[in-house]
Amino acid sequence: MAEVATEPAWLEERRREGASLVESLPLPDHKSKGWEFTDLSKLDIDSYEESGAEAEVSGGEGATVVSLADAVSSHAELLEASLGSLVPVEDPFVARNEAGWRDGVLVHVPRGVKVTEPIRIEVPVDRSGAAIGWRTLVVLEEGAEAEVWEHWSSPGDEVDGLLNSVVELSVGQAATLRYVNTQDISEKSWIFATQRAHVERDARLDWTALGFGSGGGKVRMDTKLAGPGSEARVTGGYAGGPGQHLDFDTTQEHAAPNTNSDLAFRGVLAAGSTAVWRGMIKVDPGAQQTDAFQESRNLLLSTDAHADAIPGLEILADDVRCTHAAAIAQIDKEQLFYLTSRGLDPAGAKTLIIEGFLESLVERLAEGPVRDEVSARLEQRLAEIL
Amino acid sequence: MATPEAVAEKRELAGINSDYKEKFGFNDSELGYAYKAPKGLSREIVETISDYKDEPQWMREFRLKALEHFYERPTPKWGGNLDQIDWDDIHYFVRASEKNSRDWSEVPDDIKNTFDRLGIPEAERKFLSGVGAQYESEVVYHQVNEKLEAQGVIFTDMDTALREHEDLVREHWATIIPANDNKLAALNSAVWSGGSFVYVPAGVKVEMPLQAYFRINTENMGQFERTLIITEEGADVHYIEGCTAPVYSSDSLHSAVVEIVAKKSSRVRYTTVQNWSQNVFNLVTKRAVAHEKATMEWVDCNLGSKLTMKYPSIYLMGPEAHGEILSIAFAGEGQHQDAGGKIIHAAPKTSSSIFSKSISKDGGRSTYRGLLEIADGATESRSKVVCDALLLDEDSRSDTYPTIRIDENDADVGHEATVSKIGDEQLFYLQSRGLDEEEASKMIVNGFIEPVTKELPMEYAVELNRLIELQMEGSIG
Repeated sequence: MAEVATEPAWLEERRREGASLVESLPLPDHKSKGWEFTDLSKLDIDSYEESGAEAEVSGGEGATVVSLADAVSSHAELLEASLGSLVPVEDPFVARNEAGWRDGVLVHVPRGVKVTEPIRIEVPVDRSGAAIGWRTLVVLEEGAEAEVWEHWSSPGDEVDGLLNSVVELSVGQAATLRYVNTQDISEKSWIFATQRAHVERDARLDWTALGFGSGGGKVRMDTKLAGPGSEARVTGGYAGGPGQHLDFDTTQEHAAPNTNSDLAFRGVLAAGSTAVWRGMIKVDPGAQQTDAFQESRNLLLSTDAHADAIPGLEILADDVRCTHAAAIAQIDKEQLFYLTSRGLDPAGAKTLIIEGFLESLVERLAEGPVRDEVSARLEQRLAEIL
Repeated sequence: MATPEAVAEKRELAGINSDYKEKFGFNDSELGYAYKAPKGLSREIVETISDYKDEPQWMREFRLKALEHFYERPTPKWGGNLDQIDWDDIHYFVRASEKNSRDWSEVPDDIKNTFDRLGIPEAERKFLSGVGAQYESEVVYHQVNEKLEAQGVIFTDMDTALREHEDLVREHWATIIPANDNKLAALNSAVWSGGSFVYVPAGVKVEMPLQAYFRINTENMGQFERTLIITEEGADVHYIEGCTAPVYSSDSLHSAVVEIVAKKSSRVRYTTVQNWSQNVFNLVTKRAVAHEKATMEWVDCNLGSKLTMKYPSIYLMGPEAHGEILSIAFAGEGQHQDAGGKIIHAAPKTSSSIFSKSISKDGGRSTYRGLLEIADGATESRSKVVCDALLLDEDSRSDTYPTIRIDENDADVGHEATVSKIGDEQLFYLQSRGLDEEEASKMIVNGFIEPVTKELPMEYAVELNRLIELQMEGSIG
């Protein structure tokens, strides 16, 4: 996709603001709030050169699916109103993205339009030394329906790149969005992803994320239930291998009454891998009749694996039901014994137990292509790390 | 509907909690203080305290070094708001009377009156084995029954312990909570006064709980007691502290340090019923080490204070050690209870559990803040953390911040938390049985905290239930 020669004034102004925040916001260290368990001391961010991505986009009949660079002129008004409206610039990575993003995708589904075919976005992290500032902006108008699949990947294990992504999902009144994000970039690359969804009145979001790749960084997934009667279901799966550190930071914010959120994360950690999951349920004052659920479970496959779980609740309304659960455990020896006593070899029995552990994630997804693909990817990933 | 009995009971209960001015409406202004340090903190004040107590040189040096730590460390920015504390507007040392009293008849009358109102003699008449009552910064009344002494149990105030059992104190002093552990522990280390010292020799089981009552009584006077409990192999002790303090117009500070060493196969239970008046900053560091096969239990009930920041900790240092934390927090109007617990598994086959129950009402805020860590090498360890919170109205707030760190793959760790209001179905059921809404709500709240109150000695359980019922009065529109 082509670079834009001249940009409108509003965008230039935003890039300037972003650039000045890059100057004033230092990179976090282990003392920074939220970064206690993720080490960035090996990150030399300036050694990566701002770069575009050779993204591929397909599908979406009935919707506008256009590269962000083109949308600057073709959908100027929409872009000016929506870009950056959900993700505030209060983090050095978002500031870098604001200042330097080269490309991204705009998905706009007009009022009442139901897009049947999934919209697919492929973003390759394929060059060492490149920092890709990527943006995805999805806007569903009232009553619209769409399914967006985004895949961040690398062609090989050797790429030492950096993906700095900002994703904004705006789900309008009574709209339904299914967003699937699968990430398996090179384990030598860094990932910084800031993703935020707003779900308006009576709308529904079904968000699935798989995190397999990257060596380090942080992936944020924030959902704001902004309108009464809105609903969000967030499902996350991750699997780490040697040398990897995976960091997920999720927020479920209930800002309106009668809202429902349901988040479940499951992770499998092989020898030499570490993961941290931090999750917060926030219920704002007045957001009554809230039902919020949050669960994080880790399976450690080795004594040399490490997991941190930091669930949190901040509740400022009283007529609520908020529950969270976190568990970190190993493969149950009794289950293993049972299976081997039935004739399975230990490796096969272990795989079966891990698959069973992940199966309950897969079962959260409705039957269909999403479920099949998530299941296939999990299976493939397990084969890699076991 | 309020029956005359209910009104009478309410009036009586009013004295227990918020309405100190009415019930204990006195500041004991005529009371002659033996010594009262000027407000503020300095090297001179610390040296004066040490001189006054005629302490050994090592303790004086410990205090002065701690003071340096206190100056160096920044005020914590997390938890509650500590910026309201004016460190220079506090008396760091007050001495109430010249010598300790072993016998009730020797206790000065005005102090005795205070205790009468708090019901200590009555409690003692029942079945208590020893009472250490901390009035102001010093223990003035102390009794250990002869049976305990015959068993070799030492239960005394810390100042006396330092004089009479210096080697024992010095061996364990600040080994669990070093002076530079945190700013408030450093402050306590510099200006500590009073507190209890408990030593239980090998194999001795203390059958009755040891109790100490604490009160803050001088306006703007901090209370910095220091407690050290040591149990030798196979020993067993239950220590109880209960707090109550009169109302004052400006903020008070309570910053205690409690260290516990539970040696092999011993068991310590430490129960706190904290009901400071609602202008007290209650910033306490409590930590225990449990060695092989030892059991450590914290039962922590936080009802009073303006802000409490307290996270009793247990380090499971020996194989098969066990730790338990039971916590209740009740945050009413203007209160922030930032409580919780920490358990660190540092040895194989250790087990632990944390159960936390909190209630927020009238704009109060209760926070559970905890840490559960399975350190490298703590193989085959198990832990369970359960936090439940009740919110009684829309102005109140509940937070849960548990942290779980796991470094071993064969650990089995679970955490659950819920936040909810009183269930409509439960209310409906009880009302259909003839209870009015207020009675039904009280019953539900008492049922909610029952898993913790059932672990308390009866008189504490009764008082706690009454206090919470009182807090619940008028909470239903």
